[in-house]
Amino acid sequence: MLRVFALTAALLLLLGTPLGLRSQGSKVFPYDTKVEVLANGLKVVCVPLSNPNIIAYYTIVRSGSRNEVEPGKSGFAHFFEHMMFKGTKAVPRPVYDDYLTRLGAGTNGFTSDDHTVYFVVFAGRDNLEEVVKTEADRFINLYYDEETIKTEASVIEGEYYASVSSPERRLAELLRDTAYEKHSYKHTTLGFLKDIQDMPNQYQYSLLYKKRFYAPDNSILLVVGDFDQARLMELVKKYYSPWQSSNYQLVTPAEPPQHKAKRARLAWPSKTLARLAIGFHGPAFSDGKIDKAALDLLAEVAFSNSSPIYQKLVIEEQKCQDLFASFPDRRDPSLLTIGAVIKKDEDLPAVEKAVWQELERLKTELVSAELLSDIKSNLKYSLASGLDTSDGVAGTLFFYISLTADPGSLNKLFDLYDKVTPADIRDMAKKYFILPNSTTVTLTGGQAK
Amino acid sequence: MNAFKFSLTFLLLAGLALAAGSCSKKADPNKLTSELLPVADNPLVSFHILLKVGSANDPAGKEGLGQLALGLLANGGTKTLTFQEITKRFYPMAAQVDLAVDKEMSVFTTTIHRDNLDKFYALFRDMLLDPGFREEDFNRLKADQLNFLEKTLVGNMDEEFGKEILNLALYKGHPYGHQDAGAVESVKSLTLDDLKSFYKQNFLQGNIVIGLAGGYPQGFPEKVLADFAKLPEGRTPALVLSLPQAPQGLEFVIAEKQTPATAISFGFPLAISRADDDFFALWMAVAHFGEHRQHLSLLFQKIREQRGQNYGDYAYAEHFIQGRDKFPATNDCRRQQYFSIWIRPLSNSNRHFVIRQALRELRRLVEEGISEERFNLVRTYLLNYTKLYAQTLGERLGWQMDSHYYGYQDFLAEVQQRLPKLTREDVNRAVKKYLNFENIRVAIITQDAVKLRDDLVADRPSPITYANPNMPKEVLDEDLVIQVYPLEVRPEKVRIAQASSFFQKPGLPQQ
Repeated sequence: MLRVFALTAALLLLLGTPLGLRSQGSKVFPYDTKVEVLANGLKVVCVPLSNPNIIAYYTIVRSGSRNEVEPGKSGFAHFFEHMMFKGTKAVPRPVYDDYLTRLGAGTNGFTSDDHTVYFVVFAGRDNLEEVVKTEADRFINLYYDEETIKTEASVIEGEYYASVSSPERRLAELLRDTAYEKHSYKHTTLGFLKDIQDMPNQYQYSLLYKKRFYAPDNSILLVVGDFDQARLMELVKKYYSPWQSSNYQLVTPAEPPQHKAKRARLAWPSKTLARLAIGFHGPAFSDGKIDKAALDLLAEVAFSNSSPIYQKLVIEEQKCQDLFASFPDRRDPSLLTIGAVIKKDEDLPAVEKAVWQELERLKTELVSAELLSDIKSNLKYSLASGLDTSDGVAGTLFFYISLTADPGSLNKLFDLYDKVTPADIRDMAKKYFILPNSTTVTLTGGQAK
Repeated sequence: MNAFKFSLTFLLLAGLALAAGSCSKKADPNKLTSELLPVADNPLVSFHILLKVGSANDPAGKEGLGQLALGLLANGGTKTLTFQEITKRFYPMAAQVDLAVDKEMSVFTTTIHRDNLDKFYALFRDMLLDPGFREEDFNRLKADQLNFLEKTLVGNMDEEFGKEILNLALYKGHPYGHQDAGAVESVKSLTLDDLKSFYKQNFLQGNIVIGLAGGYPQGFPEKVLADFAKLPEGRTPALVLSLPQAPQGLEFVIAEKQTPATAISFGFPLAISRADDDFFALWMAVAHFGEHRQHLSLLFQKIREQRGQNYGDYAYAEHFIQGRDKFPATNDCRRQQYFSIWIRPLSNSNRHFVIRQALRELRRLVEEGISEERFNLVRTYLLNYTKLYAQTLGERLGWQMDSHYYGYQDFLAEVQQRLPKLTREDVNRAVKKYLNFENIRVAIITQDAVKLRDDLVADRPSPITYANPNMPKEVLDEDLVIQVYPLEVRPEKVRIAQASSFFQKPGLPQQ
């Protein structure tokens, strides 16, 4: 009890920046961030909080499934994430596991389209040097042999199997594969099954992959919590300086404009609720240009649980169990997707029609200032609710750092939200929600065996 | 000032039944109790409104009643506002009310920024204390619950499906022995009047614990308590829980469906819970064997890391629901617990081998115990890792409430005190006393179920192959032992049912 009470009290004393959102001009991300860059290009973002116990130590590698531009290599970023736990010559796997176990840390890695992130969340600033030293060692000196990669490849196949019964996963795969022609967002993070099954043969490529992307000029450290910044930087310089830059320039293939609507469908082998997903090619994340920010707000206007169409289809008519829009921030232009989970297969066309009617309405009617204000409020309070721990702060901030390498992007994005007008929203609807720019995928079930 | 003293001050000032940092054993069992965790400068406020009623309280023939009735409070209108209106008012506050129903308790949780506390609370209070019981909300939520049972659970989430089959098998004929959402037949029979009766019978002061944490203003808990004190005094009579039937030998339930991957869960009832002194020793052994998603776990090392069979393999000394990250969720306390092993989906061709391997490892744990080296490692691990359990306001409040449920001032502090005093012998004694490797219920989802049954009953060898042609010799040598490890499976102990037949009625389907 004492611990977190002291955290919040000390935070306020030290930073003088309470999370309250009432005051004009206060930033949604209220903590000071300090950035330093080593000679080899490694950027270090520090957010010191006087949490008396817990430090969140994140290593952000700005490489994800976006980097899988070569044929046959889908899923490789995620596969490589698994290899990062295999140890080094100085700290072999059993020793590494033993260290993590003794530390009692919350630790794992995860991969997405644009990044692969490794975190160690641990108690006690006395452990900081051990963590910096061990993390630096595995990023610089990772070592595994060909046998190890073959065994790990079958774990990935097992991970694929773990999700094989999820219709959402299969539908997302189909949507991407259908919507994209060239760009590596064509495949999901897990990758195509045929590429997963070829992973045991990719030892040499894995070495090339590490050399290209697991380099200080493609990585960022984010450390949040109870530590002394000068001491942290001293340790980081000591242990990370030998890490060699790569200077590799990734070229992702540009996705050509889509001029014709696409459709695909998936049959599910057992009973399931029907699914509809309509994807529209949209812009990349930007903390300066208005398009992405306006579309974020538009998605809320049109499809949040307080929107008219959600109220109609989910609550009143009860045709849908769920209805949503999703437009994750990505480094390259990506899909804004409208999804529906539909109770009866025969209602699928009516739901699709209702979605289009809503999109057409947005092209002509202006959103009220009051609704826009409610949406901005929702986004700010949603963000604030996750910022009460070191891990919560790191878990929020890392994402924006991975997009732009700039921890200031989060506040810049919210500044941009404040500038979005009802006319911007109408203009974005006109620009992006056109039939030739759409890809529609559906899933319906059969009889359960 | 720490939170404990802070809330004691409240208690003295207010003269109400406010309990914080102390067990509320002496409170009148027919009146409200509370759990307070004030953190004055925190801008957030967490609510955990706990009802000491869960799915085990569902009357026979009305399984799923608690879930639907409480779901209607969390996702339905009030007497004065429709659910649509509530959703619209919640939206600018980014507010939502979550509900979790377990066997013996249910909890409404939410975290709200204190900027919005008064506006939010006025709505939340009416949702729980002045519910609308509207026909349209009832129809919507009933349809969702039926779809969950009939389509989603059986067709879209095999890992959860496997765990639920294990629950049905472990608690046959017991109040725990149905899915929390009930069964298709029983949910179809529920009426709005059933829900109203449920509310009247169970929304009684003595059933409710008001949990509040964070930066709420002075006087706020008193206001909440005064509102809830308008509920009638009283409580639902405590459920009599008979002991679940112990498995006799290896008992299999196989759900057959078309799938490339086999999901497996197995376990047996335990005669121990977190409230018992022996729990700490048993918990250490199970952490060694399969703590959730940690490299420490023996099963994880042997099945996933050495052999690449699947994504992970875990064991638990009590019912486990995953909360934030990989930490245990809170407010799902039970008087009766069970031991379980969860094998994540793996290729159908390796299913027989892995069943053998996991059961053999369990036998080795029971017979050989854990080494001094592992004992020391696991102890260090748990002493550090549990410091991460309670970080957010909601987690801290949840752990406080659960500590008191099981009779501790602070369970996580108790861990810090008790583990250093334990010895390897204590752990191995607990293993022998509470675990076994012969009387186990096994739930499997797979295809070609008859072939699996025949393989099991005939105890056929189950060799496997690897993509890696140079597997370590010690692994291959051990495989030769595993692939013929004898399992005594009697044909009448293997029940096969089509996946679609589960959750049609409460309990296991007929063969």
